[in-house]
Amino acid sequence: MTITSEFNDIVLGGICGVLPQNKVDHRDYAKLFGSDVVEKIIKSSGIQGSYQCNEDQTASDLCYVAAERLIREKNIDRSSIDVVLFVSSYPDYIAPATAFVLQKRLGINKDCIVYDINLGCSGFIYGMYTMASLLHCSNARCGLLLVGDTTSKSVSPKDKTRMLFGDAGAAAYFEKKDEADPIRFALRSDGNRYKSIIIPAGGFRHLPDASHEQTMWGDGNIRSDYNLYMGGPDVFGFSLKDVPELFSDFFSSFGMCMEDYDSLILHQANLFMIKHIAQRLGIGMDKVPVSLDRYGNSSGTTIPITICDQFARQEGKVNLLMSGFGIGLSWGVASLTIDKNNVFEITHSSEKYEGGGVSHG
Amino acid sequence: MDTAKKIELLEDMFDMESGELDVNAKLSELDEWDSMAKLSLIVLMDDECGKQLTGDDIKTFETVQDIINFMG
Repeated sequence: MTITSEFNDIVLGGICGVLPQNKVDHRDYAKLFGSDVVEKIIKSSGIQGSYQCNEDQTASDLCYVAAERLIREKNIDRSSIDVVLFVSSYPDYIAPATAFVLQKRLGINKDCIVYDINLGCSGFIYGMYTMASLLHCSNARCGLLLVGDTTSKSVSPKDKTRMLFGDAGAAAYFEKKDEADPIRFALRSDGNRYKSIIIPAGGFRHLPDASHEQTMWGDGNIRSDYNLYMGGPDVFGFSLKDVPELFSDFFSSFGMCMEDYDSLILHQANLFMIKHIAQRLGIGMDKVPVSLDRYGNSSGTTIPITICDQFARQEGKVNLLMSGFGIGLSWGVASLTIDKNNVFEITHSSEKYEGGGVSHG
Repeated sequence: MDTAKKIELLEDMFDMESGELDVNAKLSELDEWDSMAKLSLIVLMDDECGKQLTGDDIKTFETVQDIINFMG
């Protein structure tokens, strides 16, 4: 049985994305990997550049800037925010959850549900599902969903898959209403494939013997156990098989079809992959926005970043079908309607949290 | 599917001229056998042969003939 869910009392009332200031031209990797390899990867992935954080800038810093912007643009009363969720694989600390850091920085009071969700590329879909569930099942009225990832910090500098990733943060504001257009979800997970995308060390499984030494792995890339590993062929196969299957289950569960939607927002992992999924779903690429050429794969933020890139400050409503898929393995399909006036353009920030140090005193 | 058709599909995938692909060629010595070719092969296996190709399957391939055998 496919896990599905429908909400008729939740509205996505605002969304904005933030990228770091540092722009990286992926052709610059030619010095490291050789220009033939670099051109081949750019051609196959479609990713020409990305934005990467400064060393002292975190995913939560990007999310903080995005949240402040949304609060300002939407004139949100901070005391009305009842839920703060931070979805990321790149927290500020091992513990506590980074959502508490953001609650403090954003000045949100104690009458609030605050926690992190450890997910990556499927994070925006699962974050929306969790947010909608929390608002629906409590007296909470509105919440901030903050999604941020800084994959550049975990990929080895000597790993060619480095050319696929970028960093970004996003904030989305959800409100409970008496009536709203439906928000629908279909969700699936497969722990059997948890090693397909993994940062092996840094938790408590491999202590104290995890080495920082970088060695050549079976895929020909040089990395340590503290670096991100992605099993390219398996993840690609997953995206081509399991993701279209979930779309099909989503359509049959809700009695919908591809033609019912204005636009398909796919996780921006790889252009080749996006085109194949679109082809399998029978939708033309004119309805499938692409942002990875400029921003790369920024993990859980690619869906909000692509929405902002495509629809910012336009008139009218748009009926979106979307899918995020990746680390876990975890994948989800969601649909909702958003007023394009509530979509804000992408901005850039190098802001960092000055109060993040911990005193030993 | 006959062997000639399989070779034709692989030559298309590798962007090779007709007759250029040697079925006995070792993949490790083939310039065209890169990460992109592996992704393309996953798509080809699914679209043309209805087979799910995994990373572990790919690791067992030593020659072009091994790929042809997998195509069924």
